[in-house]
Amino acid sequence: MISLRGVTRSFRDGGREVPVLRGVDLEVVPGELTAVVGASGSGKSTLLYVAGGLDAGFGGEVTVAGERLRGLSPRALATLRNRKIGFVFQSFNLVTGLDALENVLLPGLLRGERRTLDEQGREALARVGLAGKERARPPRLSGGERQRVAIARALLFRPAVLLADEPTGNLDAESGALVISLFEELARGGAAVLVVTHEERVSRAAGRILALRDGRLS
Amino acid sequence: MSWRGLLAVALANVGADRRGALVDTAAAAVGAAALALFLGLGLGVGDAARRMFPADDRLVEVVPSQVSLGGLLGGGRLDEAALRRLAALPGAAAAWPRQTLLVPVAAPEPPRGFERAWPPGMTLQLPVVGVDPGLVAGDTAGGVPFADPPDGGAIPVVLSRRLLEVFDKTIAPAWGVPGLPPGFDPVGLELPVRVGLSIVPGRSEARTTEVRVKLAGLSDRVPLYAMAMPLATVRRLHQAYGRADPGFAQVTLLADRPDDAPVLAAAARRMGFGVDQSERSAAERVGTVVAITTGALAALALLMTALAALAIARSRAASVAARVREIALLQALGATPGDVRTVVLLEAALLGTAGGAAGVALGRLAALAADLAWKRALPDFPYRPDTFFAQPPWLLAAAFGVVVLASVLGALGPAAAASRVDPARTLS
Repeated sequence: MISLRGVTRSFRDGGREVPVLRGVDLEVVPGELTAVVGASGSGKSTLLYVAGGLDAGFGGEVTVAGERLRGLSPRALATLRNRKIGFVFQSFNLVTGLDALENVLLPGLLRGERRTLDEQGREALARVGLAGKERARPPRLSGGERQRVAIARALLFRPAVLLADEPTGNLDAESGALVISLFEELARGGAAVLVVTHEERVSRAAGRILALRDGRLS
Repeated sequence: MSWRGLLAVALANVGADRRGALVDTAAAAVGAAALALFLGLGLGVGDAARRMFPADDRLVEVVPSQVSLGGLLGGGRLDEAALRRLAALPGAAAAWPRQTLLVPVAAPEPPRGFERAWPPGMTLQLPVVGVDPGLVAGDTAGGVPFADPPDGGAIPVVLSRRLLEVFDKTIAPAWGVPGLPPGFDPVGLELPVRVGLSIVPGRSEARTTEVRVKLAGLSDRVPLYAMAMPLATVRRLHQAYGRADPGFAQVTLLADRPDDAPVLAAAARRMGFGVDQSERSAAERVGTVVAITTGALAALALLMTALAALAIARSRAASVAARVREIALLQALGATPGDVRTVVLLEAALLGTAGGAAGVALGRLAALAADLAWKRALPDFPYRPDTFFAQPPWLLAAAFGVVVLASVLGALGPAAAASRVDPARTLS
């Protein structure tokens, strides 16, 4: 579950404080796929990174997978991201030096569990339709395939929360549809899925659509 | 993140940039090789110099003053009274007198079995000095007692250790005779000599006596040019040939501690005696040259290591800048800023370890190659060392460790930069 209560976030711009989030309230329950839409620069990504514990400079209260983020140590936040939260980004963010399977296993690699997770990683790749591509390096994969590798990585530990930032922004229609169906499947499996997007094809698939305008959700 | 996880990520990062890793490893290898080679050369040259110019920093050689007012100030002549006063100086552990034998001694024939190493018809004049047995006590434990023998007994003698090397490398080639066999131990060797015989016309005594001298040991404490006999034997020979006691030519003072030696030397000078510093000065000069050379070589090696560390630092900084999104991703997937810092330091340590190991091996091989080249190029000379390099395991381990440490230190800046990457801003 994701819960945001009165969340604020602002950035300094040349000595001027620029508010981006102005008291955001949001709740995404397990099994729900929620889309946040808004214009470019409206603060969608900021909202996502605050919810994912990657941006600690917020005001208000954020609770993710039962953990209140305020006051958590960097180590505890990192553990929460590793075990409970899956991230999917617009630009895939794969490690070029690692092959597809190693990229999927990266969260496990960080835990030092690389060897025990091989089969799990292969299954995750198969789930996103990439069986047989385990040894392929990112430069040899198409955009759609790279995004599916990133999704397989996010799915590896069956996270309670999935946060996706413009996940279909760089994909063609077919690849985008596949990604959306994977998110739906994950939500059906009990995860709280929060997707920020400005694409209608994504928001159409969401059970709930919220718009971020002037730093507030409506 | 677990250490295994951090190491796995660091290994993956190093493997992803093989070219950069190769350049960094080569830089670290150059640093380690320079340390192993140049420090080894400095130590090796130092060892060789110490073998050539052995010096005991606790010894003070007191000699009669060249310019003296004699008995007026109680100085000048080294006699029994002077010996007692010197021995009583604070900080003096022992005082060993020496007396030059004024009766000529010559060897007209070689030791038995060494006829081939003796030019036909040669008579060898042997300068003799009588020494206190305490002076050479540490060098005469080979079973031949160093004491005035009973009538008819062989006189024990001690030769300079350097004499064997000089004979082998200089005298034997000049005479055209074979050198000493490898591993030859001359202790116990007997030589027939004639006391009273001089090769200088008109200088022989009216009466000559045939005696045998027996080598009791080799020592760095006796002069290169003389044969040392027990002081009592020299005194007995002076009496037998009617010579007045000439006093002591030298008294060797043994200081309690090396720091006491200059104090003893100053006290001896105040008593009106001279201090022979020729051996010590030579050793000190050599020591200074060796220290300066070693220092310069060490500085050069450290400079090369610093340059290697700088190269690794620049390379790691460039790598961090190029991988900023990957670093942010690591944080998104569960790494703390501290973990990221550790990964970059581990990368540097891995490169330093590979380069350090390769460099140490390279430094050892270069030393062997240089020795081989010098052995072919340089003529044989006394104390020519088998190797100009001393590379004990601790030195190789230190060269390896310094390079790994320098690599890690060089990566501190890039690692700090990596830990400051803001994942939210970088990934959005």
